[in-house]
Amino acid sequence: MSKGKLREEEIRRIIRADDEWEPVGPTPMPSLTDLRNWDFRLLDTYEPFYAPFCDLCCLCTFGKCDLTGDKKGACGIDIAAQQARWILICSLMGTAAHGAHGRHMIEHLIEKYGEDFKIDLGSQVNVEAPIIRTVMGLKPENLGDLRKAIEYVEREMIHLVSATHMGQEGSYRDFESKAFHAGMLDHVALEAADIAQIVGYGLPTSIADTALVDLGWGAIDVKKPTIVVVGHNAVTANAIVDYLRQHDLYDKVEVAGLCCTALDMTRYDSGAKVIGPLSRQRFFLKAGLADVVVTDEQCVVTDIPQMASEAGAAMVACSDKICYGLEEASAKTADEILQDMLENQKQFLILDSEKAAEVIVRAALALAPVRQERKKIMTQEEAALVSAKCRGTCEACNRACPNLLPINVAINQARQGDFAKLGSVFLRCIGCAKCEEACVNDIPIQKVMQAAAASDTYKIRAGRGPIHDVEIRKVGSPIVLGTIPGVVLFAGCSNFPGDIDDVAWLAEELARRKYIVTLSGCAAMAASMRKDEDGKTIYEKYIPEFDAGCIVNVGSCVSNAHVVGAAIKIANIFATLPNRANFELMADYILNRVGACGVVWGPYSQKALSIGTGAVRWGIPVVLGPHGSKYRRLFMSKKEAGDWNVIDGRTKQVVNTEEPTPEHMMLVTETKERALVTIIKQCFRRNDTPPGRAIKLNSYISAYKQVIGGLPDDLQNFVRTEKEIPIVYKREVIAYLKEVGWKPKTVLSLPTIIGTYETKVPIEATIK
Amino acid sequence: MASELMTMPYYKVNILTGTKAAKVVSEPAEAASIIDKATNPLYVFGAEVIDSPVGDKLLIDFALDIAKSRNIPICATAHVKKKMMELGVLPDSTYDIIEIVHFLKDKNWMGVRGKGFHDLVLFTGVRCDLAERGLSTLKHFAPHLKTFAICRRSHPNADFAVPIITKTEKWRGYLEGVIGELGTA
Ligand code: SF4
Ligand code: SF4
Ligand code: SF4
Repeated sequence: MSKGKLREEEIRRIIRADDEWEPVGPTPMPSLTDLRNWDFRLLDTYEPFYAPFCDLCCLCTFGKCDLTGDKKGACGIDIAAQQARWILICSLMGTAAHGAHGRHMIEHLIEKYGEDFKIDLGSQVNVEAPIIRTVMGLKPENLGDLRKAIEYVEREMIHLVSATHMGQEGSYRDFESKAFHAGMLDHVALEAADIAQIVGYGLPTSIADTALVDLGWGAIDVKKPTIVVVGHNAVTANAIVDYLRQHDLYDKVEVAGLCCTALDMTRYDSGAKVIGPLSRQRFFLKAGLADVVVTDEQCVVTDIPQMASEAGAAMVACSDKICYGLEEASAKTADEILQDMLENQKQFLILDSEKAAEVIVRAALALAPVRQERKKIMTQEEAALVSAKCRGTCEACNRACPNLLPINVAINQARQGDFAKLGSVFLRCIGCAKCEEACVNDIPIQKVMQAAAASDTYKIRAGRGPIHDVEIRKVGSPIVLGTIPGVVLFAGCSNFPGDIDDVAWLAEELARRKYIVTLSGCAAMAASMRKDEDGKTIYEKYIPEFDAGCIVNVGSCVSNAHVVGAAIKIANIFATLPNRANFELMADYILNRVGACGVVWGPYSQKALSIGTGAVRWGIPVVLGPHGSKYRRLFMSKKEAGDWNVIDGRTKQVVNTEEPTPEHMMLVTETKERALVTIIKQCFRRNDTPPGRAIKLNSYISAYKQVIGGLPDDLQNFVRTEKEIPIVYKREVIAYLKEVGWKPKTVLSLPTIIGTYETKVPIEATIK
Repeated sequence: MASELMTMPYYKVNILTGTKAAKVVSEPAEAASIIDKATNPLYVFGAEVIDSPVGDKLLIDFALDIAKSRNIPICATAHVKKKMMELGVLPDSTYDIIEIVHFLKDKNWMGVRGKGFHDLVLFTGVRCDLAERGLSTLKHFAPHLKTFAICRRSHPNADFAVPIITKTEKWRGYLEGVIGELGTA
């Protein structure tokens, strides 16, 4: 269905088309099919790769349908389209989670300040919302405009959800195009949500050097009344901080968090503490150190009410997304709620954030004195005793472990007083408690881990929000020329295949090779959990600027928008290409010229999937850790045998560059070593100048020699001229290239894929 | 035993939810004969071959013996190449696990030695959850080849799978059995 005239007029009204900050581009507020040709062009080079989790489809009552081999479902769907449908469904879950978060946050702030409340991101950020500007064509000026962004996301989502119904879309390519749409909408929602909280709560913006904040369960002074917030929406957490400040209680109560609420709370007040990522939720809550547990939304383990009650802690749920069957108590007085809570251990849902804050703080003050005895972690003697029955032979625990850990050996050794192995299992544990559930002797394995876990305190820098326009002006040219070898974003969850601090290793290997390293969410937390010989974390060692060799924590999951935004700003501010309603132009620029790569080393959530899928539509390749294979879809090229044609922007001729850059758009690597060389390779771009490519090749070869050994066996794909061979490796690289019959390739300064497919964007638009 | 199908592997995360399960290859002689019948096999080494001890040797020592016995080309995924270089062997390919699976899907791909598609692909030492995903891809999208997971944790999405072998000595016996059979075949 093409857009009707009325809808076009409506869109012009929504985006205030007559505002003349830039001419309106070809795709204001794109609908489902407006960017389909762009998507198909990407899919031509980067084919979807499917790894079905299940041979069947059981979505409707025609089924179950067996889809193995060339069998089709009763509705006619095949296994590839069924995988792509799942991807769309899961991406929509992620987009909905961020979108609903954004809507709640924006509505809460509109209630407080009104819809005309101005967006002002400080003196360093003029292009306030590069994603919303590009996708919608709207330059948001106030909270009301951010609500329009969420309304646009909601409008598109209804059509996308509809397409997943039985007997709707039937082609895997169209499902993927729709998943790209969901991913792009997700980024709109992320940006709207984070801008809203930055302006509404006065979070850091226009500064780089944000406060260093304490992280780790050892950082919590459990002698004080302890409140622990869990989730991703800091509305109630911030209300708790406000209540404590207003009542002069801030230094008498510990407020700490798990997951992104913690990160956002420390942006609001750097005295708050971060306990750790999702993988530490159960571990910490089972330890009983919290007097009050507060849940908001997203990635909150669903048995928190049970854990809180077993620990004798109070528990308050604060989001309409997670009600746990509890009574909603906003209409009651705080005294009434507290009485029931303290006398009867009753748990409540309290949607009124200010009332919730009062109840939570008062409950913590009341409970702390009587809970001191329960706030003790298991000693090694106790741990050995409760593990007494394990002989390490049944292995029921190992078989249940989704991270494939040798728990049997660790518990059997702990029983004998040796906790070293259990300590190393804890570093890799994702906190699912499946081992404990499976243990034939009912050993409380998560609790036993308390006796083996280090309780160090680490420093993480509070999330700094948007990248500054002036930083973009400084790094735009070296990034596009390739002399800054890449911008890497570590995002997403803590479903890590190996040690929790492997992200720190990856970040540091890249920073010391002069990549711009950015982090967010659980990945940003995990990266702080490694100290050097001087006891410093990467946040203390590296400058927090968006520049070569620096390390930046942008903030929570919703702050991921700022890294995609930075890539857009390079095209818009540095290259001065118009971004208003100009998705393809921006994405084409990023794909061909901005050496950016997203990494989700510990993927598990649907949110991380939608963020990653959105990144691919923007032309940003994504590298996933091994658990990402369970998303069941990747995007991979045929390497040198793929379609690498571009248009030379100067001559407007089609040129076969013969160089697979970026090589894949979404792939999984098995080990951190392989991830390192893959990330480096994914930052190659066809626009790299020979000196820029030489710098990138130098990183590639040095990392490859360090972690894999010898010269990479695909150098012939990426060396275009002899000038690009790094001097230190010249002799051996030339010998290798000779051996494999390498021939020089064309180096283009204005490569574009605009014009290699049907689009409304003229080739001229790519050149300024 | 020959007709037994693998649906419940060692790791619960890999339980089969489907209709097409691997045939369990309990006897080393049977394993050797599957390998022997292949005309253009490939052996994919995963990262765990270099750090999984089997008795006083490493898993890679056995895998290399199997590969050598029939001159089977090796794809060294992850960072396995480094250890192979130490052992004085160079792999034929260094594609990572997902990359090699991606290429194997394509019947027109010429294989790691340019001799056409591989009709049998052996896997050892790939992280079990990741291996299972790759085996599922090949089960569904590569009808032109057979897969054999030479892994003691067992893999339902392969065409052929070793049964669950928890005791290291038995595992060693299995691997030595396969090598022995290949040596005399
Ligand atoms: S949606 Fe299609 S494939 Fe799935 S159960 Fe229904 S008829 Fe079968
Ligand atoms: S809690 Fe940790 S050790 Fe236990 S099964 Fe889960 S990941 Fe494995
Ligand atoms: S299931 Fe329990 S008893 Fe058995 S090996 Fe594991 S920890 Fe020990």
